[in-house]
Amino acid sequence: MFFLKEETKVISMHPSYFGPNMREYLIGRLNEEEEGRCTGDHFVICVMDMVDIGEGRVMPGIGMAEYTIRYRAIIWKPFRGETVDAIVTSVKPTGIFTLAGPLSVFIARKNIPSDIKWEPNTVPPQYTDHADQVIEKGTSLRLKILGVKPDVAAINAIGTIKEDYLGPL
Amino acid sequence: MLLRLPTSLHYPITVTSLLKQPGDTVEKDEALFWYAYETTVTEGDGLGNTAEVKRRYPTRFESTVDGEVVKWQIQKGDVIDEPVNVVEIDEPCAHEIQFGGLCAECGKDMTESTYNTEITDSMRAPISMAHDNVTLTVSEREATRVEEDAKRRLLASRRLTLVVDLDQTIIHATVDPTVGEWREDKQNPNHEAVKDVRQFQLIDDGPGMRGCWYYIKLRPGLEEFLQNVAEIYELHIYTMGTRAYAQHIVDIIDPTRKLFGDRILSRDESGSLTVKDLQRLFPVDTKMVVIIDDRGDIWRWSPNLIKVSPYDFFVGIGDINSSFLPKKEDIGVNKPQIEAKAPEKTKEHHVNGKTQEGAEVSALEQLVTMGGDSPRLLQEQADAQEETILHQVEDRPLLQKQKELEAEDTAGTSEASSSVEDTQEPTKHRHHLLEDHDQELFQLQNRLEQVHLQFYDEYDKRRTLALGGRVAALRGEKVHSRDKDVDLKLVPDVKDIMPQIKRRILGGVVLVFSGVLPLGIDFQNADISLWAKSFGVTISSRVNARTTHLVAGRNRTAKVREATRYPNIKIVTTQWLVDALVQWRHVDEEPYLLPLHPDDRGDPLTPSELELEASMLSSTDEDMTGSQWTQEDDAEDIFKSSGLDETSPIGYDADEQAAVHDELKDFLGSDDESESDTESLLDEPSTGGKKRKRNGETESGTDEEESGDEDGDDHDKQGSRLSQRIKRSYERNTKLREITSAPASGSDQVSLGLPKTSVVEGVSDTETTGTSGPKADYPDPDDDDDELEREMLAAFEGGGYDSQAETDTAAENG
Repeated sequence: MFFLKEETKVISMHPSYFGPNMREYLIGRLNEEEEGRCTGDHFVICVMDMVDIGEGRVMPGIGMAEYTIRYRAIIWKPFRGETVDAIVTSVKPTGIFTLAGPLSVFIARKNIPSDIKWEPNTVPPQYTDHADQVIEKGTSLRLKILGVKPDVAAINAIGTIKEDYLGPL
Repeated sequence: MLLRLPTSLHYPITVTSLLKQPGDTVEKDEALFWYAYETTVTEGDGLGNTAEVKRRYPTRFESTVDGEVVKWQIQKGDVIDEPVNVVEIDEPCAHEIQFGGLCAECGKDMTESTYNTEITDSMRAPISMAHDNVTLTVSEREATRVEEDAKRRLLASRRLTLVVDLDQTIIHATVDPTVGEWREDKQNPNHEAVKDVRQFQLIDDGPGMRGCWYYIKLRPGLEEFLQNVAEIYELHIYTMGTRAYAQHIVDIIDPTRKLFGDRILSRDESGSLTVKDLQRLFPVDTKMVVIIDDRGDIWRWSPNLIKVSPYDFFVGIGDINSSFLPKKEDIGVNKPQIEAKAPEKTKEHHVNGKTQEGAEVSALEQLVTMGGDSPRLLQEQADAQEETILHQVEDRPLLQKQKELEAEDTAGTSEASSSVEDTQEPTKHRHHLLEDHDQELFQLQNRLEQVHLQFYDEYDKRRTLALGGRVAALRGEKVHSRDKDVDLKLVPDVKDIMPQIKRRILGGVVLVFSGVLPLGIDFQNADISLWAKSFGVTISSRVNARTTHLVAGRNRTAKVREATRYPNIKIVTTQWLVDALVQWRHVDEEPYLLPLHPDDRGDPLTPSELELEASMLSSTDEDMTGSQWTQEDDAEDIFKSSGLDETSPIGYDADEQAAVHDELKDFLGSDDESESDTESLLDEPSTGGKKRKRNGETESGTDEEESGDEDGDDHDKQGSRLSQRIKRSYERNTKLREITSAPASGSDQVSLGLPKTSVVEGVSDTETTGTSGPKADYPDPDDDDDELEREMLAAFEGGGYDSQAETDTAAENG
């Protein structure tokens, strides 16, 4: 699920950047460091705007300026039960690896409808029901997240396509 | 799942009541049954007195899993003394496939643990099976299922699995930018060889290596090889390169991904950086897997392995991804490979040897030695790799070598002397550094076809047998269609079939190495030994009647001398062994026979003794050998034909002969020195290896060498064997006399005291037996080695040098 969340971040700035473009530099730094970051709990999708840059404080001894920035960002926190669209990255006899944006989701064979079968003899290998549903590398899938496990800098998730309206798009 | 009592309970316990009946559902940490245990505790009575009291406590046993109770295996009132199975619980999910710490089927967290946890759930699926992903793990059962599916599929399409290594097996890679320049430069002598070199750029290959260009040379015939082999094998890649590197290579060799699909395993997913493990890809069984790799050691010489000769196109570059691997044992294995590629005769390598040896030791391997998997070491190894890559980019070893070559070339042409011209010819021929003559893949394809054929022959045979049997047994009953299809129990094992094929090739060969492996290396477990052994070769440490081949890395060793005395022993260069191993056939020894120095030739055994020897031999190829060596003249011819004429003493004039004698004298003198060196060495084993090596040869060889050398000259002059022998025995005596008289000089006393002990100690040593063998061997060659040793021992101890020599002569003369 997507959220608009207000967060704070401390950025220290080298004295060589002190000048008229300080603000642009800070925005650049913030975007570069925050966007696309995975905290283990959620992904930061996009930094919307800065609520407050605050006053820079020159730190004694090193001369760097420290800014405490409050900003708003769009984050995505995947939940169990959430339905997402994903792209297949590889198919294996044990299941399907997919990427839903930054989130890697694995769909085990058990969570694939039983009429969609593993077909290793095609190039590339695929899961197919020998009708209109073919799942191979690059296919778009709609899946439901069964479980999410946060890690230090990544999130792993388990998905299923064994429900109505799920599967290849 | 069967629940088992943990060892941590206070046994014995008494079950007092069961809380769940079969059919009931239980949750994790829910009580299953009550039990009671007894223990002694210290109790106070409130008045300050304590007493040890035996007490009985009731406790609940809690379930460690969710599910439904199927069957109790204990009853109320049972007394349990040790961990037993308690209850069978049917779990809704056995968590057999896990992804990143989650059960991939039910989505539960597998890593959480409570006070009640015996084993975390993540241990239920310990096997990592996918090529390109390590976060996915499966249980053994799941792995078996997946593998059996794969096997059925392979059997149905009559294919096997082939695990292919990249570096130096099917391609050769370098980062030396010289290659790129040569490729552009049509004038360059190497242009022809490098024009089809492919290149790619790896952007994110660690700091310092950004945007490094990699140059890839495909092994000749690769495309065809892969196409043909893919029809009978399912191809997998297992490389020690990074994932990005592997992907790029695959883009080059298999752009459509028809051959390899995504069956690519790189070091990022390998799990170990020092060994390759077939279990990583095929955790359950490897019956249908064949590996091709240029390194046997990193596979621990797996029986599934077909070792190929390393593809070394960019001379001296080696394997750019080998930083993480244990250092290659170069001896005799790699070196001849390179030599083999150049279309020259062995002899000429004495001339080119210097440059070549320099080329061999790649900078990489110098930098990196073997190591384990500790993070610090890994970092070091990664740094080392980075450094070597930088080194290669900056130093351009290829360019340097080409320059060297050209310099040598010009030097060669400026010299007019005929003999020099003769030897320089190959250098001219090698005007360009890079050669492209590799034939390995063509041979490899044959071998793979052979293995495939053998495998399915065996399979078909077993299947017809089994089918026939079953039809007889189940007459009238329907045979299941699946059974008709494939039966996994009947699948033969590549691990049996390949060694079977290989053992046929050099079976019965008994090898002795001489000057191939450095002293101190366990000759049974050296790379080449293990490789040879997989072909049925027996390796022994000493030359005896059972020996069929002496593989000599150098000429003029004690063992070579010893071996010349046996007509059945073929003295061959290391190249023979390597070629036989590479080509999978018993190659003809003739072109590989070592050019013997005439002085080294021992007296062949007399015909009658020969017969005795021959009767002992079980080897089948004695017949063809015998004829070659029984006659001295024959042997002589071989020497001539092998190009020894300059060194062969036939054309000696008087001056030369005098010079030889002088040299010989020096040599004898130096030998005496070295002998005393030996003894002092015995006390300080830390002395350098070089010296030690020499000892190994000289200690034993001294006597024989001296007398032998003299012989050689005399032999050529006089031609009579009798006079030769007399002369030799005379020589022996004089030498011994010298030694006995030496103590008078006083200064050598210590060193002279020691030789005796060393000889006695060294009797069990190969070398000692080797040298003195001939003497004792003459009277009765039938004696086994132990007896021989004993005799010698007696002879030495009794100071019977002279008498021994005399009897010797007597025996020989009549």
